[in-house]
Amino acid sequence: MKIRYLFYLALLAFIVSCKPEVNEFTPSNGSADFKTYVALGNSLTAGYADGALYKSGQSYSWSNILGQQLTTVGGQPFVQPVVTSEFGVLPGKRKLGFSVDCLGVTSLGPVLDNGELDPWSTHVDYAVNNVGVPGAKVAHLLAPGYGNAANLQAGLANPYFVKFAASPDISVVAQAMSMSPTFFSLWIGNNDVLGYATSGGAGDVITPTEQFGQYYNMLAQTLVTGGAKGVLANIPGVINTAFFTTIPSDVIDIPDSPEGQGYLAILNGEHGYAPYNAFMESKGLPYRITFSIGPNQMVIQDPAMASYGLPAQLQIRQMVEGELALLTLPQDSIKCATWGSAVPVPNQYILTQAEIDNINAATIAFNNIIKQTADDNGLAFVDFNAIMVDISANGLIFDGITFSTKFVTGNLFSLDGIHLTPQGNAVVANYFIDAINGQYGAQIPKVSVANYPPILFP
Amino acid sequence: MRKITLFLLSSLLFSMTIYAGGYQVRLQGNKQNGMGLVGTSLNMGSSSIFYNPGALSLMKDKFHFELGASGIMSNVDFQRAGSNENYQTDNPLSTPFYVYGAGKINDMIAVGVGVYTPYGSTSKWDENWTGRLLIETIALKAIFVQPTISFNFNEKFGIGAGFILAMGDVKINKDLNYSGDAEANLEGSTTSYGFNIGAFYKASEKLAFGVDYRSEIMMKMKDGDATFTVPAALQTTIPKDNKFDAELPLPANLDFSISYQATEQLLLAFELDWVMWGTYKSLDFTFKEQGALLNSTNPREYKDTFIPRIGAQYKLNDQFQLRAGMYYDQSPTNEKYFTPETVSLNTFAYTLGLSYSPIEKLSIDVSFLQLFGQTAEKEYTPSNFKGTYQTIVYIPGIGVSFKL
Repeated sequence: MKIRYLFYLALLAFIVSCKPEVNEFTPSNGSADFKTYVALGNSLTAGYADGALYKSGQSYSWSNILGQQLTTVGGQPFVQPVVTSEFGVLPGKRKLGFSVDCLGVTSLGPVLDNGELDPWSTHVDYAVNNVGVPGAKVAHLLAPGYGNAANLQAGLANPYFVKFAASPDISVVAQAMSMSPTFFSLWIGNNDVLGYATSGGAGDVITPTEQFGQYYNMLAQTLVTGGAKGVLANIPGVINTAFFTTIPSDVIDIPDSPEGQGYLAILNGEHGYAPYNAFMESKGLPYRITFSIGPNQMVIQDPAMASYGLPAQLQIRQMVEGELALLTLPQDSIKCATWGSAVPVPNQYILTQAEIDNINAATIAFNNIIKQTADDNGLAFVDFNAIMVDISANGLIFDGITFSTKFVTGNLFSLDGIHLTPQGNAVVANYFIDAINGQYGAQIPKVSVANYPPILFP
Repeated sequence: MRKITLFLLSSLLFSMTIYAGGYQVRLQGNKQNGMGLVGTSLNMGSSSIFYNPGALSLMKDKFHFELGASGIMSNVDFQRAGSNENYQTDNPLSTPFYVYGAGKINDMIAVGVGVYTPYGSTSKWDENWTGRLLIETIALKAIFVQPTISFNFNEKFGIGAGFILAMGDVKINKDLNYSGDAEANLEGSTTSYGFNIGAFYKASEKLAFGVDYRSEIMMKMKDGDATFTVPAALQTTIPKDNKFDAELPLPANLDFSISYQATEQLLLAFELDWVMWGTYKSLDFTFKEQGALLNSTNPREYKDTFIPRIGAQYKLNDQFQLRAGMYYDQSPTNEKYFTPETVSLNTFAYTLGLSYSPIEKLSIDVSFLQLFGQTAEKEYTPSNFKGTYQTIVYIPGIGVSFKL
């Protein structure tokens, strides 16, 4: 009798100790081999954020996140050329902080975050899986000596690659191949348009399409020689990034006050733009500069107007809807030094419609090449251009986190307006995982975006 | 000393865990608990105050008292979609309870009062869990006080009605997507009213019918306390101390039941409960300050459910009665709006019970329930939060009934 009760008791204890367990997902590598994953690319792959390549930012690179997820499907540990300083390799890191502008108004925004940089004397002397190099264009990945300190002076080397190049004259792609990759990611080409775009079309040139295609194919062919599989990603429309969309072109706001009326009279008068308008009319050109109460388009320099035979001081005009001002445009100069109204904004802070057209045309052409290369080689492909257009139009929500392309509040772009936040990197890593899983029938687990930091507020 | 006891009671007894079907808890009598929670066509004494006030005037005894509680041990496992990351709840033991007392004024009229806890939900997820921006902890409690009067026309047919005073409170904690330990804490309480009416018909010595309706009670929270912890730079935008309004419906129930005394020992009972969850459309928060930024509308779009129940009681001898039952509780949740705050899956449950009467006047009633939530992938689309849930719940209970 007693024994029977004991049995019942034991049965009850067994029942009560049983816990729910969901097991719907088994990681698997599908038809790919993720043993040695090497990531090639530019600043995005390297983990650049907030205007710098710094320690914690680098640890949240999408490539590192992906590399860690690949260890669940046979990947070896993913090694990055570790930056030891929280302030980066070169100065320029931003943080959110308070600053006082020329009008004495305190506001919250990106401010320089200065501190002790990564020492130049230390060279990464271990093999690395992340060979992403900030600033690299497609041609740079093929260039021998891109990591040779002796070439820095001539502008033929990149300080970031100098830090971890296995030998002075090795190319990035050769260093990648020295790892005998079984799997690679290649996200390159952004700088082939971005360099032009971030200099307002003034400081760099867009890589010619034919050259881009040639170099890109050479890269892909080299990477697949050992039978490696991989993933390619295309170039998101750079003009959708917060770097180009934060400052509106009609930022000149003339208040309806005696001061505003007075300033308006000057701008539109004989000592303002009236002679300019009369001159343009006499030449039969459509350019006019007029101001009114309320928001006004900025006056900018446009060297392209030289084609009308205009002298330099007359190569100016008001911006038109759709043209873009860069995040680097000094706000104090607008507020206190009459930039955009009495003083034309220098060309390097502005993308004109013609420049935007050049960028868009190149982006489309480059992306066609990237897609074709992915198809020809049976590689996975991520269409970040389409994703970016979608986020820009509709936003994105993930685990309760809302993303948009807005600066700071959008949570996607870090404080430089171009590179990603840690949560943005996690989103990007998940897109890569989706593409790889789709192409190779793999089951790489996706990451929880909420487990990564957002933009840090003071 | 009394204060301490009261405090212990309030902290222990008032907190409940969801165990099925939204945030309703039907553990209002340990005899009925053992029989698949069937009760509307049974006449178990003063617990009819909850199950069917119509039966109260037909109870056999002059006075009847019941007192009891259950301990809900619930476990939820969640696996994020497209990943092998699992997260579990760490729900505290929650203890719904009931106290009833009833007496017959004469052969036709009986009065009574009941205090019980028919709604509640406590979910406590890990503070680092993947859904912490949706919910980290939620504790919803409601305690009902119900004075009741019952009248019978003859020995076969009785009707009854009770007035319900409902006192509820809610606490919600979730993280905010800012650096540091940014979080929101909401806390509010309210009092509301409702009613419970029922009719009981004993067609023969063997056959009885019962029907009972408990009204919907809308818990309207006014000026609840909201506390936001955010980085210093954001405190001008999101004030630390704020007030909020919200409302949560406690849905109406319409229960139909039949019982049949098959043999002298064996009692069988069936019940169908219609729970009118369709009233729960959305959980909206309105804040006193910075409403434009903070107000939120969170769709729930629940649907009505029908819960079939079956129960049996076997009288072993004058001392022992054995019980068993089962039921199937559909989830009232909407495909698109399944949130981790109330993990309500389609649930199958079996129940066991035992009564022991050491003396004729006293019965000690124990019950045990086990609930299995059907494994299912669920999504809350407004937050793009998706994953697979499973639940297992154990509910032991004990009570006493005493008659004069």
